[in-house]
Amino acid sequence: MVDIIEISITAVGAFLAICMFTTLYGKSNPLYALAEESYIGFGTALTVIWNLLFIYNTGVLGITQAGKYALIFGILFGLMVLLRVSNKYSYVARIPIAIAIGSQFGLALRTTIFTGFLDQIRGTILPLLTGSTQQMIYNWTIALAVILMLTFFFYTTELKGPLGVSSKIGEYVMYAAFGGIFAQTFMGRLSLFVGFMQNYMVPPWKIPWLLGSLIVVFGAVIVLDRMHLLEKLTPEE
Amino acid sequence: MANTKPAGKSGYRYLVEYDRRIIYLLIFILVLAPLLQPFILPIQVSPDTTTYYNVLNGLKKDDKVLVVFDTEFSGYMEIQSGIIASIRMMFQHEVKVAIAVAHVEATGIPQLVFDQLASVMQEHNYVYGVNYINLGYVFPNEAAVAASAQDFHTVVRQDAYGKSITGTFLDDVKDWSSWTLLSDYTTGIQSTALINHYGLKGTPMIANVIGVMISTSAPYVSSGIYKALLGSMRGGAELEYLTGYPGPGLTAMNSFTLGHYMLMIAIVLGNVGYFGYRSYQNKLKAQEVK
Repeated sequence: MVDIIEISITAVGAFLAICMFTTLYGKSNPLYALAEESYIGFGTALTVIWNLLFIYNTGVLGITQAGKYALIFGILFGLMVLLRVSNKYSYVARIPIAIAIGSQFGLALRTTIFTGFLDQIRGTILPLLTGSTQQMIYNWTIALAVILMLTFFFYTTELKGPLGVSSKIGEYVMYAAFGGIFAQTFMGRLSLFVGFMQNYMVPPWKIPWLLGSLIVVFGAVIVLDRMHLLEKLTPEE
Repeated sequence: MANTKPAGKSGYRYLVEYDRRIIYLLIFILVLAPLLQPFILPIQVSPDTTTYYNVLNGLKKDDKVLVVFDTEFSGYMEIQSGIIASIRMMFQHEVKVAIAVAHVEATGIPQLVFDQLASVMQEHNYVYGVNYINLGYVFPNEAAVAASAQDFHTVVRQDAYGKSITGTFLDDVKDWSSWTLLSDYTTGIQSTALINHYGLKGTPMIANVIGVMISTSAPYVSSGIYKALLGSMRGGAELEYLTGYPGPGLTAMNSFTLGHYMLMIAIVLGNVGYFGYRSYQNKLKAQEVK
């Protein structure tokens, strides 16, 4: 038996989601604005609450329960950031921001060399003469594509002769890669939509709520458009 | 389709300037129809998914797995089939699972997963705190990820429900080396941080990524940081097929097929319209010159 809370969640969720989809109608409308503002409000509140809880769990409990007093500095620096809203003392906020940027930079720099550079190179150094035929074809394709595409990015030399041919092929390989990425992106976006539809169609008792919201919301938008009320009723950005 | 407003009469004109809302409506119908009347066709499993399946299949009882929901709720829609199928396998292998969250919108996902896998958990006598735990939002930034890799209990003291984690199986967890596997379900929020502070140190990692991340994540498989990669909902469907538990992934594949056919037809028609109309305009200009 489905309880009233689950029905309410589905009904409100389906209604607001379909309101969001009215952006596809191509004109600003009050229902889209309602869904958008609701999402911003909900998202902000959720972020504030969860981050306050994180600060409590990590910072406050860290000091009071685990006795890690160094965390007091973290909380103090956090409070100093709040001074950014003061005209007189806003400069104080720059100190913890500078520390945060510096520490983040230090954290990331050490490892980014590996993940963003060395491991990417290691990922392209592949066995070309061992493994199955299929694997060898994959590895040769990756190795050749990287070399050909890199020649396209030689900026300080004239691309002519073998280098010109190589860079030209590299250019076309790049176009093929763009096509692949575009297709993957389409698949990804379609996945989001299919996932949304499944969420509101399984189990089947949800289907009337989804289709009902669809008819009501798009019907309202079309009627408002015919009555030339869309712009009038949509709040300004 | 074309940047310039077409003029004159031509059979191609409609293909150039038709209302794009027709495309949206067609996609909606093509996605909706197979979901209303679901049917499952056998699919081909890629080598990537087979490797991913083998990694999960190699887990042993009481291994410790850190599952990270590194996604917004919208991303969950895309990778939920992979999440459900993967965690089902973990529960079937009776491993100890800790779920951490890296985005506030993902804080509701663990409960959705537990609800969907309730029967498996019951079958394998899963007890909260002993076999699994929901840690909630513990990875808001790279600093938290880095700190947890050095000393897990510095960052995590309570679970998602405000209860102390002391006395749970996490007592044995000290740092990155305590985990048998880190399984990241990601739209890319903290995935780099997890690689930097867990993967590079030596924690075996697998990832289930959204479609747009597949090409950028693949080099991490070649370099050995990721033991395996599961791509988007398609990967999830393949994993469902391998595990023998059809779910949202497999039932969505027909919608995918129709959607992709539609994109291909739209690309062909768009190009026919564009080049046809351009040729028609050139003919008109040539006639005017004469």
